[in-house]
Amino acid sequence: MIKGYEVVVGLEVHAELNTKTKIYCGCKNSFGLEVNTQVCPICLGMPGTLPTLNEKVVEYAIKMGHALNCTINRICKQDRKNYFYPDLPKSYQISQADIPLCQNGYLDVIMEDGIKRIGVERIHIEEDAGKLLHSDKFDGSLVDFNRCGVPLIEIVSKPDMRGSDEAKAYLETIRSILKYIDISDCKMQEGSIRCDVNVSVHKPGEPFGTRCEMKNVNSFSAAVRGIDYEANRQIEILEAGGTVDQETRRWDDQKGISVSMRSKEDAQDYRYFPEPDLLTIVVPEEKVLMLKETLPELPNAKIMRYEEQFGLGRSDAAMIVDVVEKSAFFEKCIDAGCKSPKLLSNWILGEISKFMNEGTAIEDTKLTPEKMAELVNFISDGKISTAVGKTVFDIIVKEDRDIASIIDEKGLAQVSDASALEAIADEILAANEKSVADYKSGKTNALGYLVGQCMKASKGKANPGAMKEIILRKLGG
Amino acid sequence: MNLYEYPAYELSEMLKSKKISSVELTKDIIKRTEEVDGRVSAYLKTDPEMSLEAAKNADQLIASGKAESKLAGIPVGVKDNISTKGIATTCASKMLENYVPVFNATVVDKLTEAGCVISGKLNMDEFAMGSSTETSYFKKTKNPFDLSCVPGGSSGGSAAAVSCGEAVIALGSDTGGSIRQPASLCGVVGLKPTYGRVSRYGLVAFASSLDQIGSFGRCVKDVALLTDEISGHDPMDATSVNMNYPSLYDNLSSDITGLRIGIPSEYFGEGIKPEVADSVMNAVKALENKGAKVIPISLPSTKYALSAYYIIACAEASSNLARFDGVKYGYRAKDCDGLTDMYEKTRSEGFGREVKRRIMLGTFVLSSGYFDAYYKKAKLLQKRIQQEFADAFKTVDSIITPTSPSEAFKIGDKISDPLAMYAADICTVTVNIAGLPGLSVPCGYSEAGLPYGMQIIGRKFDEQTVLNLGYAHELAFGGFRRPKI
Amino acid sequence: MKIDIDIRHIAKLSRLKISDDELAGYEKEMSDIIEMVEAMPDISDELTVDPDNAMTLRSDEVSGQKFSRDEILKNAPKTVAGCVVVPKTVD
Repeated sequence: MIKGYEVVVGLEVHAELNTKTKIYCGCKNSFGLEVNTQVCPICLGMPGTLPTLNEKVVEYAIKMGHALNCTINRICKQDRKNYFYPDLPKSYQISQADIPLCQNGYLDVIMEDGIKRIGVERIHIEEDAGKLLHSDKFDGSLVDFNRCGVPLIEIVSKPDMRGSDEAKAYLETIRSILKYIDISDCKMQEGSIRCDVNVSVHKPGEPFGTRCEMKNVNSFSAAVRGIDYEANRQIEILEAGGTVDQETRRWDDQKGISVSMRSKEDAQDYRYFPEPDLLTIVVPEEKVLMLKETLPELPNAKIMRYEEQFGLGRSDAAMIVDVVEKSAFFEKCIDAGCKSPKLLSNWILGEISKFMNEGTAIEDTKLTPEKMAELVNFISDGKISTAVGKTVFDIIVKEDRDIASIIDEKGLAQVSDASALEAIADEILAANEKSVADYKSGKTNALGYLVGQCMKASKGKANPGAMKEIILRKLGG
Repeated sequence: MNLYEYPAYELSEMLKSKKISSVELTKDIIKRTEEVDGRVSAYLKTDPEMSLEAAKNADQLIASGKAESKLAGIPVGVKDNISTKGIATTCASKMLENYVPVFNATVVDKLTEAGCVISGKLNMDEFAMGSSTETSYFKKTKNPFDLSCVPGGSSGGSAAAVSCGEAVIALGSDTGGSIRQPASLCGVVGLKPTYGRVSRYGLVAFASSLDQIGSFGRCVKDVALLTDEISGHDPMDATSVNMNYPSLYDNLSSDITGLRIGIPSEYFGEGIKPEVADSVMNAVKALENKGAKVIPISLPSTKYALSAYYIIACAEASSNLARFDGVKYGYRAKDCDGLTDMYEKTRSEGFGREVKRRIMLGTFVLSSGYFDAYYKKAKLLQKRIQQEFADAFKTVDSIITPTSPSEAFKIGDKISDPLAMYAADICTVTVNIAGLPGLSVPCGYSEAGLPYGMQIIGRKFDEQTVLNLGYAHELAFGGFRRPKI
Repeated sequence: MKIDIDIRHIAKLSRLKISDDELAGYEKEMSDIIEMVEAMPDISDELTVDPDNAMTLRSDEVSGQKFSRDEILKNAPKTVAGCVVVPKTVD
């Protein structure tokens, strides 16, 4: 709610699929290659060429349909959407109109105050267009057709989100699912996932307001900014006694504003009709079922399971699940016998995330789930301290070495032997008379200092719990 | 007799037995073309050097004993909307005047692999839109039987070339009659195969759901030979049908005993010249005498077929021809003021009037608010027409009608009256709408000596029955009659 | 029945320029054709997809055929730096 208005958001997400070839021809589906080198007569729409539909595109879209609890239209067709633009070689886009491959689904997103169910209207398959390149130095635009024919799914939500926070959660969950079912690379900066945003506002209890569609939203954070801007813009108009026009607007993320592109009257007439170059798509019933059965555990279910089964906090669970590699590593460590999932999660979100954020993948290191599980177990069993654990971790990331022998070799085993600890305690207490006096006069935080000094003196090997007990006994005695 | 006058199946034997070489034959075709094409204007482009090179290769292939196809060494003319790698493919349009494909149509690949010699690219109505070859941007092809008459269209160049010996056989394309109608007007045999029998890959699309590449010859045997060569499933064309295609030529038989021929009353009444109807019925009687049974039938929705055809064909064309926008290939207008101006100028200058009208008609019937009233209605009618044919084929094996309502008309007579021109397709469009095979064979001549054609329609993929009937008719009627040119 | 067709609008959708002296001709021809097709009977049915008209899908394998950029762009009216050039277009 903003200023007493409810904000209604619907999203159209376009995700590029990571198939080997394009949707209607055998060209390689790859990003970032030299301009106009990934094109053939078919994706360039040369006269006489014909499309042939890539079966993986249909499979991937059905997988997403299952993940979003959709009805699968296993008998459907493709349609032409006609419009002229230089990046669209055939001057029509092969898409799906009245019968999408998947429809009537939903997605549950986890919000702070519980689960929010967001309806999914449809998922359809279509081809991407090329790219226009501009330069101030050049009087004209350049067309690179490499992206033409890259397979896309368009996921259209119902207008079920109430504000940018829900939209953000929806988008992040969609992205996470795409990665988990491994059908899209989801690289925002490469434009492999993009969205159009529909926003309207109304007073609670009143019918929905007039909606505006916003294009050119190129990141999730831009979606949040765009929605907030657009909602406020519409509220201001209404508060001033005006009416919101139905129109398509363009989001300018740099300036942080949306500008009108075209009004409802100028709406494009796409003249959809069934694609005559392609016949009916008929997916066998068994294949639809098989695709459902082979679906992996989806991110939300994983988060819930990590909470229940491993006792992780929601935000830790969500952070691990957010990155497929982290979650996979987490589960492999558990399978390898890791006894403390909580401690493991701290390591993954701490040290492991640190090197991953720097661009190093786990597979690029010497770290294996077995080693990580062993290391966590050493710590949780009290055999080494966390500080020593870090020393060992730094070694096993770089070298394929046995943990026990590292500990032996460097004499890093945690000292729990009472007599050795007593000796350290005596030494520290004698050297820190002021702190002892402070403690005795009621400044209890002096205890922490003294224990810390003991730990330091033991080079981190002392068992901190046992050390603390001894100090306490000696101070009290 | 000159070599160019022989049918392909005889030339094939002569080549095989080394009585002649492909180079000799090709030279004769080139000579004949030089003699008459100045008057007939069938070809848009010939390249004698390239043809002779191909003929040399064919001779080597035959000499090596590796020639599997009966068509090895035979010159074939190709309609100019069928893509030929390295050879301009213009669709007889200013839009594609300088367009040179970087790939071959599947049918061209097949012919090349078979050892055929491409004799040249043949004139047509612009983008195959027309029934007289008058809408070609480059030239008007003349009817070899009367140079003041049209050859029919849109494959007028193919029909005329085969008729006067500028090609032994030729490829055309047929969307609403574009093979059968010119075959009829030029006194040759033309087959539009079942939709899905021949790959459309590389055929510049007019109306994707109706277009089909087919064959021209001076006799049924030649048409069977050429059709065999181009038939077959193509993974590049999703609408091509994957099934066995037994040789039509090998199974050709004039024994038609017991075959049931349906005669639909709707094709013999209003709009059909009585002389044409009479000549078709005479031919049917001859078939009856050879053992066929003649059964009167009715195809009541025929009267709406032309309407449904123009809606579906133009709707698809408006979309198919949208790619000609001056961006990637083809004509681009000069001195444009921005993108929209470039689009509009390019398309207005690059397309002829007939093409523009059909694009606009197609755009109109698909536009917001009109889809249901036109496109949807036409598609539903198409279903009904298909059903009527399916029902008819429960009681008959073949249906015979006139091909064209009249013989060839004078150049210029109908060009300014689209409805009159469209009526030339009245007997043929239903066959495309129903996706059936249709053959046109000559069945009579007007007093002035202009040919009449008879159309033989069959069940889906039953080209064999259609050709057998055509063959039996040909034997009874007497074969090809040469135009005096 | 006389049907009004907004030729200018249709021409705009088709990216065609129709000059003033061409307009009347097109209007006449188009409405003649539309009048003919208006005679089609009403059929109270819906368009459906035909499951018997199914297509075989292509397996996801990279095609062996490769086209060089020069070859693929050789028909383009204007190119610069491996790209097709069009009048300045900013959406």
